[in-house]
Amino acid sequence: MELLCCEVDPVRRAVRDRNLLYDDRVLQNLLTIEERYLPQCSYFKCVQKDIQPYMRRMVATWMLEVCEEQKCEEEVFPLAMNYLDRFLAGVPTPKSHLQLLGAVCMFLASKLKETIPLTAEKLCIYTDNSIKPQELLEWELVVLGKLKWNLAAVTPHDFIEHILRKLPPQREKLSLIRKHAQTFIALCATDFKFAMYPPSMIATGSVGAAICGLQHDEEVSSLTCDALTELLAKITNTDVDCLKACQEQIEAVLLNSLQQYRQDQRDGSKSEDELDQASSTPTDVRDIDL
Amino acid sequence: MSEPTPDARQIPCSSRVCRRLFGPVDSEQLHRDCDMLMAGCIQEARERWNFDFVTETPLEGNFAWERVRGLGLPKFYFPAGPRGSRDDLGGGKRPSTSSALLQGTAQEDHVDLLLSCTLMPHSPEQAEGSPSGSGASQGRKRRQTSMTDFYHSKRRLILCKRKP
Repeated sequence: MELLCCEVDPVRRAVRDRNLLYDDRVLQNLLTIEERYLPQCSYFKCVQKDIQPYMRRMVATWMLEVCEEQKCEEEVFPLAMNYLDRFLAGVPTPKSHLQLLGAVCMFLASKLKETIPLTAEKLCIYTDNSIKPQELLEWELVVLGKLKWNLAAVTPHDFIEHILRKLPPQREKLSLIRKHAQTFIALCATDFKFAMYPPSMIATGSVGAAICGLQHDEEVSSLTCDALTELLAKITNTDVDCLKACQEQIEAVLLNSLQQYRQDQRDGSKSEDELDQASSTPTDVRDIDL
Repeated sequence: MSEPTPDARQIPCSSRVCRRLFGPVDSEQLHRDCDMLMAGCIQEARERWNFDFVTETPLEGNFAWERVRGLGLPKFYFPAGPRGSRDDLGGGKRPSTSSALLQGTAQEDHVDLLLSCTLMPHSPEQAEGSPSGSGASQGRKRRQTSMTDFYHSKRRLILCKRKP
């Protein structure tokens, strides 16, 4: 008899389902439906009057920090940002409601994706108690209504395993590639210019950037970056030039984040607290070298 | 969903992540905006389904609503309310307004279905068809599974042509 010891991690996870991963119809269906869940317009131009792009970055950074501190599943943050963008694409919102909206989106995404979801009380504490649990619950219904209860959005994470399994064997680097790709996806979710990109393109670009980044360190793969991009483009039916552009944008955003972080570090007079508040860098981006 | 259950995750009391981003939040305005947006959602649903979801009353429109019985839904889906759960067998009217259209419960773990709706072929671009209000369901019916199937009412569509 085989005994499993599951006491270390209280979160139960299903094993990867080979029936889903090794069936191409799943990937094709994801590619077919992903566009349905994109925000309908670039809302800073056509819908929002009060909210500016930098405010989206602020709320996104805060949401990412909450998700990291609460050790949420990787998908929770990008999914919550998808809800936020879809809501803002339809409803003019004052900036004073933006943090509440971010909390509601995390609340919903966490309930959809996690076995132990974030509680309303906890999320309210993270807003420094500027909102009450009751308000969060009321707005939950509003957001659900405006999203038409369509919560099972496709995120870039849905594509990662499908892409990785079609690449030539990466040996033990696979988990590192996966981790970096996940970080890039989170990074993309904080930046509005990726909000209208199809999730498959973000996923493909993130995997590409992860592998190319790791290649600089040492021999990871026999593929050159260009050959890799072409292979990746085929996997998700993405246009090669679009994919290249996307991957370059991801690398630029990463570089920008790292420079921001290093600059913050050089300002030694700042305390660690101030530093982290000022920086808009997702925490674990700092682990990554290009 | 939000009861303060003890869980494995840490309590974020003194964390630097706890911060308000955009200054003071006006609770009054939050409440007003919430009501306004909810009213919009309800109005949208009302027009979409010609059904008043507040009073749970069918209205004139493309869908004919009728009471349905005998499709045993698990009690799980039955809206919780002040009324007793199984003491009123036999389809007696219930006092609560929110359940004005609920028809009697069945025994054991099942309750009867509440409402079904049928698309009426009476929109202007459709030539044939009966006038609204008859509630007659014609043609083939198609079960549609969606979240709203378990949301107080059961609907069935016979035609997919519908005015947007």
